[in-house]
Amino acid sequence: MLERYVTALRTDDAGAETPAETRDRLRDHFARGATRRMTQLGMLIGAQVKAVEPQPHEALVYLSAYAETRALEGYLESFPTASPTLFQTSIHPSAIQQVMIGQHQPLRHFFPMAGSRHGIAQALTVALLGDPAAPTLVCGGEERGTWLLEQNAASDRTFGFVFRLSANATNALARVRLSPEVGYPVGTCPLPQFFDTLVARRPLTLGAPSGARLTWDWLAP
Amino acid sequence: MSSPSAVPPIRVAACDAVTGFGDAATSLDQLLAGRTALRPHPVLGNDGGDPVPLALLPGRAYADTSPPAWLSDVRALLANLPAGDWGTPRRPVMVTSSNFGVGNMYAYQRHGDASHLAYGTPSAAVDWLTGELGWGPNVTTFSHACVSAHLGLLHAARLLHAGLADAVLAFSFDFLSPFVTGGFHALKILNAALPAPYAARETGSIGLGDGAAWAILTRDQGDFIISHQSLYNEMHHFTANEPGGSGFAACLREVHAGAGARRVWLKGHGTGTLEAGRLEAEAFAALWRDAPLVSWKGGLGHTLGSCGLVELAIALRAMRNGRAPGTVGSAAPGFTSAVAFDPVDLSTSDAAVCASNAFGGAHAAFLLSHA
Repeated sequence: MLERYVTALRTDDAGAETPAETRDRLRDHFARGATRRMTQLGMLIGAQVKAVEPQPHEALVYLSAYAETRALEGYLESFPTASPTLFQTSIHPSAIQQVMIGQHQPLRHFFPMAGSRHGIAQALTVALLGDPAAPTLVCGGEERGTWLLEQNAASDRTFGFVFRLSANATNALARVRLSPEVGYPVGTCPLPQFFDTLVARRPLTLGAPSGARLTWDWLAP
Repeated sequence: MSSPSAVPPIRVAACDAVTGFGDAATSLDQLLAGRTALRPHPVLGNDGGDPVPLALLPGRAYADTSPPAWLSDVRALLANLPAGDWGTPRRPVMVTSSNFGVGNMYAYQRHGDASHLAYGTPSAAVDWLTGELGWGPNVTTFSHACVSAHLGLLHAARLLHAGLADAVLAFSFDFLSPFVTGGFHALKILNAALPAPYAARETGSIGLGDGAAWAILTRDQGDFIISHQSLYNEMHHFTANEPGGSGFAACLREVHAGAGARRVWLKGHGTGTLEAGRLEAEAFAALWRDAPLVSWKGGLGHTLGSCGLVELAIALRAMRNGRAPGTVGSAAPGFTSAVAFDPVDLSTSDAAVCASNAFGGAHAAFLLSHA
């Protein structure tokens, strides 16, 4: 069994906020002028990742199903004169790079992931298999699309989260366990559903496709 | 920065790749002959634009269809994959890519056929592939630009040594589209010139290539070992490296420490850009002064997220055959005296260092050795 404790957690449900509104709200979290080129997802996740103060020895796992949707839409619209800025901004894992590059903060182990139905189970497995001596930050989120959303090819919500997984239970908010369990039924947990679980602080039990049972138990209110 | 925990060694039980030349064996032969698969194509395909060097899979049209025509190339590549229950609990699949089916997103935007969107996002593309290839749901997807494949290899090692898998299938793919060629062209590093990796010339340029590869990874089966996997992310700049080369050094130091006294040859990233190529060559030379350094992207083009696995498949065959291709497309003077422009005799080598780099100053490397 793999086990870690959640020692920090931040969530941000931006609701129907526009990118401009998010920029106004989160501007003070970043260096002056930095948000001008940041995406909505980059600002959302970036502000939260900064708040938990990532350390150089910590690993980072990042999950998104759609990632930089607005930059992708803008880049596609820029053809036939392709925009170099929107090209680089649209590339996964730009949201994290926007904040970490802004801080010039190197990372040793960085695992950008993509996934929908089983994404969170796989991301937590990646995090739980990391070096127990080094905490792992897990973050994720989506930004609401526009014309891609009309075609069901983008998220209909804007949100972001980050939590720190540590082997140390001191002041832990929750415990996460991955227990091999042959025959446990495989479940699905799309990222918005996982985010709602975090916000509501509901426990989670999920059958991972790896043949394991994933549990998230809250230890503190 | 503290040293990362060691990632246990794993073995390569089988692997293959497909490039603009064909399969891994054909690619090796063509590279050894000093040939390039890069040919001029309009940067936006049927929409025209400047000619740029692209290495498309043999016979693949440079236009995205719905469903993607490259599925047949993937099926052909995987034809020799040992049959089995891939994607089940004990036999997970690592899918890694930078572009997935984003070419279909471009096709949708240009032509309005919404059927393209079934493959346009990473999740949609992987779900579709998983269904087409008959895999189970135990599929993990990594996407970190041109080091993507390395993440799959590293996670595979952790799964195997944690006892959570008996064998892992690593699969990586990236097929070119105007989406990505247009982006690199806009960044002004993809132009009409052919790439000349590690060559000290006035203007840098890259070529891009289709690529896909697979490897079966195990704890104890196979005659090659992947060990001392190392990652490092500079987070210095989106498209430039820290000018002192610290990111290259930080990644390669871990591999160097693991390689010890072994006589290595170096399969670098070497896309053809000047600054990154110089920093990489110098970082290699600082750790392995006399070891020959090669890049194959002058022949294959840069196969983006798949390059780590594509080039592993070719490196492995080169080691089996005792001869590695040189830096195709380049000529002296190189950034360092260790840059090998001609094929390298591997009879006195014990191992290869295989490295890849990516946007954001991402670095990845591992040691490949005989079991």
